[in-house]
Amino acid sequence: MKKNANDTDIQIAICGSAGDGTIAAGDILKRAMSLQGYKVIAFDLYPAEIRGFGKCISRIRISSGQTYSLKPQSDALVSLNDPHAIPHVVEVRDYGAVIYEDTPMARIPEGGHISAHVRPAQIPYGLGIRHISEQATGSARSRNIVVLGYMAGLLGMTRDVFHQTIGEKFKTKAPAVAEQNLKAFDAGYDLATRVFRLDTIEIKPPRHTKSGADAVMMTGNGAVVRGFLDAGIDNYFGYPITPATSIMERLTVEMPKTGGRVLQTEDEISAIAATIGAGYTGARTATATSGPGLALMAEMVGLGVMAEVPSVIVVSQRGGPSTGLPTKTEQSDLNMAVFGGAGDAQRIVLAPTNVEGCYKCAGKAFEIAEKFQTPVIVLLDLYLSNRYETVIPPKRNPFLRKPEKKIAVRNGNGAYKRFAATADHVSPRSVPGEPGLMHTVTGLEHNEMGRPSDLPEVHLAMSHKRHKKLKGALNLRGLTLCKRFGDEGEVDVGILGWGSTFGEILEAMYAAQSEGIRCSAMKVVMLSPLPIEQIAAFHDDCGEVLVPELNYEGQFAGLVSGELGRPVTRLSQVTGAPMRVEEILNEVRRLSGKQSPARKTKQQDTGDERALEAGLS
Amino acid sequence: MNEHLKPVYLEEKLDEIRADGHQDYRSKAIPTWCPGCGYYSMTEGFTMALNRLGIEPENTVVVSGIGCASRFPFFVNTYGFHTLHGRTLPVATGIKQANDALTVVAVGGDGDAFAIGAGHIPHAARRNVDITYLVFDNGIYGLTKGQASPTSAVGFKTPTTPYDNCDQPLNPLMMLLSYRASWVGQAYAGRPHHLADMIAEAMAHRGFSYLHILSPCVTFDKTDMTYANLDVGVRDLPGDHDRTDLLAAMAQVEAKEAPALGVFFEEGRPTLGDAMIETIRRAGGQAA
Amino acid sequence: MPTPRHHVIIGSGSAGFGAATTLRARDPDCRISLVTLSSLPFYNRYDLPDIFRGRHDWRDLLPIMPAMYDELGITLRRNSRVVDVNGTAQSVEFAHRETLHYDSLLVCAGGRGYLPEILSDYRPLMHNFASFEAAMEVHTALPKGGTVIMLGGDMLGLDLAFTLLDTGYKVALVTTPQTFWPHRVDDQLRGKLVAALEAKGARVHGDSAPVAVEEGLPGAPARRVILQDGTEISGDVVMPFCGLVPAVEFMLSAGVDIERGLLVRPDLRTTGENIWAAGDVCQIWSDSDKEYRFYHGWRNVREMGELAARNMTGSDEEFVAEDDGRIWLDKGSNICSTFWEH
Repeated sequence: MKKNANDTDIQIAICGSAGDGTIAAGDILKRAMSLQGYKVIAFDLYPAEIRGFGKCISRIRISSGQTYSLKPQSDALVSLNDPHAIPHVVEVRDYGAVIYEDTPMARIPEGGHISAHVRPAQIPYGLGIRHISEQATGSARSRNIVVLGYMAGLLGMTRDVFHQTIGEKFKTKAPAVAEQNLKAFDAGYDLATRVFRLDTIEIKPPRHTKSGADAVMMTGNGAVVRGFLDAGIDNYFGYPITPATSIMERLTVEMPKTGGRVLQTEDEISAIAATIGAGYTGARTATATSGPGLALMAEMVGLGVMAEVPSVIVVSQRGGPSTGLPTKTEQSDLNMAVFGGAGDAQRIVLAPTNVEGCYKCAGKAFEIAEKFQTPVIVLLDLYLSNRYETVIPPKRNPFLRKPEKKIAVRNGNGAYKRFAATADHVSPRSVPGEPGLMHTVTGLEHNEMGRPSDLPEVHLAMSHKRHKKLKGALNLRGLTLCKRFGDEGEVDVGILGWGSTFGEILEAMYAAQSEGIRCSAMKVVMLSPLPIEQIAAFHDDCGEVLVPELNYEGQFAGLVSGELGRPVTRLSQVTGAPMRVEEILNEVRRLSGKQSPARKTKQQDTGDERALEAGLS
Repeated sequence: MNEHLKPVYLEEKLDEIRADGHQDYRSKAIPTWCPGCGYYSMTEGFTMALNRLGIEPENTVVVSGIGCASRFPFFVNTYGFHTLHGRTLPVATGIKQANDALTVVAVGGDGDAFAIGAGHIPHAARRNVDITYLVFDNGIYGLTKGQASPTSAVGFKTPTTPYDNCDQPLNPLMMLLSYRASWVGQAYAGRPHHLADMIAEAMAHRGFSYLHILSPCVTFDKTDMTYANLDVGVRDLPGDHDRTDLLAAMAQVEAKEAPALGVFFEEGRPTLGDAMIETIRRAGGQAA
Repeated sequence: MPTPRHHVIIGSGSAGFGAATTLRARDPDCRISLVTLSSLPFYNRYDLPDIFRGRHDWRDLLPIMPAMYDELGITLRRNSRVVDVNGTAQSVEFAHRETLHYDSLLVCAGGRGYLPEILSDYRPLMHNFASFEAAMEVHTALPKGGTVIMLGGDMLGLDLAFTLLDTGYKVALVTTPQTFWPHRVDDQLRGKLVAALEAKGARVHGDSAPVAVEEGLPGAPARRVILQDGTEISGDVVMPFCGLVPAVEFMLSAGVDIERGLLVRPDLRTTGENIWAAGDVCQIWSDSDKEYRFYHGWRNVREMGELAARNMTGSDEEFVAEDDGRIWLDKGSNICSTFWEH
């Protein structure tokens, strides 16, 4: 983000145990701030465990200008559970705030209270959260809302928008529930207004208060759902898997309202099989899964390619291989999404880089799948699936609700050729129910009629057709396939990125620019077929090309350098967490030949002397 | 009564066939099955059933998996989807889910159904997807030249069981009954007219109908499920069999040595499509 | 490998902080926990009047940067109220229900402002000057050129009073027996000192004791102080400065002798095993006076903290007061005090 004096750019982390209402409190915070017109990016982490005592942490970045990722350091940490929150204290910046329970119910072992861990430069704010909740509502259940109120009051956030948000959040519950929560919020808020602030967290009024009412908070998965609905999804088949499940859960609520159907299948094979089955009938159909599910789907994706049946598959990647790290993020399924399965089975793969992109890619995927009669994979990851961003929904539905041209075409008196050769390699398609156009599609290699054939000329022609038709996707309109940001022309370092990591890449690029490094960044949304011309042009302009991504070997770097036949510098990382802006920036500095600016030592030297005086005199 | 012994006059038969109209449901492709294969009677029975029920070919989708039976869609003049090994039911479920107006028939052999695809059967059955599943059981993997299948008898010698098959064969009908498929019946390729009746009845059933068809592999099985053995082995269901009685049905299918032909079990209950329409109603939506 | 000794210091004022740095210098391996009620790292309370000279950022008051605590290996436990010390189990119990074990304990909890009984009901209407936050609140509550009504006027208060007078504020001083605390002044000197205060611009009310604090009348400054003789003094802020009383409640079951403060030997050991005390919280046995005496003032407090730390790490020294507790007028009739020397 480019900084102005009147900018707000703060990040709040709320940490607790499952059942503490951590995510709910974070949800209210991000919605309230979004309602006021701030840009909000948020990422929640919660345990794989079904229920119980796993760690939940919600990190919420609130800014007046556009930001692209979370900050490595939060301005404030709110603890609803000290053992979980203590490891995150170090993530709070100097002169930031740590807010916690100062009269816990149970005895605490030595070192178990967060006050012993607050760094000397951070400001501890303790309050009797449980006690206040009990006083305000008669129960300790509203601890999360009390501490939310306290944090809001402390930082001088506007009370009204929280009231509005809380009212909306609990509007489906009994009126007493909203009332209790409002009381809890106010109790915390009022207490905080009497506290003398020692932190340096500043919230300025938002830039555009007008847009606040239109803006909505959405996760990547939520945006996929919205995109599906706006594009007129007819059918959804899915099997639960973290981190994709919330897509199915939301669709199950929303789709029936407009006559749509959702079926939870017995496994991922069945989910993709039914998706392709429904796609064969001409219905807009999708499924969503994660890496392990995609592995099971690989054979069916091949069938979709071979039988030229449209389908949309959302894949939210998590740590792998195998069951891997179900609740951690990673970008290690690129190879499988692009290449996975038997044979030469090229398909279309789109990887959005932000929440808005999830909306566009998910909605557009149907059109693309229908247009090119092929499976389309929309590749997310846990970080993008679960992170919240402020999105202004488009005023007009941007998607074609019906296929661009009638898919069934009668071929006069001649026999209908389902796989007829055409100029754009896309054949006229008919769907069951249309008289006179009956045909059978098959996973076997087949001739133009669709009859099985293993003749060499048939296999060659059909392979050619299946690959060539996809090249048309590189001329798609209405969807950004790749885009360059930052400095134009020749630059010292170009950062090439994909997926969720691109937010960190942009932040790093802006930081590098502010240090005087000529730098630009390119995001690649269409991973297959690869828009190689634009990438090559970008490569031409860059002294060095850096490819940061969250996998071990640098799968995207491999894909790009393989197609380009030119080297790129990999920055690959597998920690289960999003990449840190600083790490990308350091690499950019190294590649640009510019060392990092002298570390700000603040008054460390004088401090040192004083300490010596103090200690040794 | 043995149908093989009736005299058949070619001219009469051809006239009968032309007048009948069921040949419209046949495609122009020439089947690739071995001469004498039970699958011919299935194709014939299927087209006759469609014809009798008056279902338009364009509103019919036949879904197959992999195996000898997988070629079935190519030989009938309907919409067809030749899918992957074992995946007929989920694909068929997707087709039906997307368009209730279609008649969807899934076909497969014993390997496709009860080896690789066995996991999907209980779910199609419990959801009561309104489709018909025709399983052509020849107790062998015919397309890949005669390996043992889940319904091969103990002691059966094949290229993958050179020292005799020692795996207990499954009892598919018992499985389907325990999954509470809403229509379960059995027919035999050696009794084509009964087979056609049974296919028609299975397709007429509203809900998931499972028809098990005993069908000899004349090429790779010379000893076990042969016409000779089955002709003497099969029996009709007792006239007093109560097809609403699940336990009675189970008792009938338990006797595998003398396979009974007919409808073992039938019940009417809401289909998956019904459940979807109800869900849409509860959500306040309008069914498409 | 032996477990390093854990020194727990209660109180992060001059004594406690001085002790912590001294301990670290003398024992590189020991564990040091500096426990405080404060939300801030150590700052010198004696610097707080500087707030009225524009030092509003607490970071400017810190003698060492916060990061230095890490380098010195001092665990700072702020916002931490000790509710009990168990001398047998050698542990400290916090209000937040955590128990912290110590090998040696140094109590430097200091004192809190004394308030005459008759005024205790009016505490909500008064401001104190015990912390940075409190001092900032005074600053906020005080309009430009406004009046502080000071009750008592101990040496801490008078330090503030001179700063206030110097920076354009008004000070109304209601004298009590605690005026000039901790100095004991006879009537003659008292008269001269009062005159000197008046000469500096303070309005001194010396004839009658304060008995009540009320909200100001509409249109008038925010507070009124009513004296026994019925006199009403109007001002914006009322601040009691009546000396300090040792903060020792949490030590009641620690097994140490307490009179008003914690009783310590000249080497600053209390009567409890492995428990030392330093600063305004303790009374030190004086062989010459044959009684336990308080020694106040920054220099004394500081020296006590460091001495206790030396003795906790093997030394055997006795406390000798650096500040002999004198107050006098210089040639220019300025009030001088050893209390203020640092």
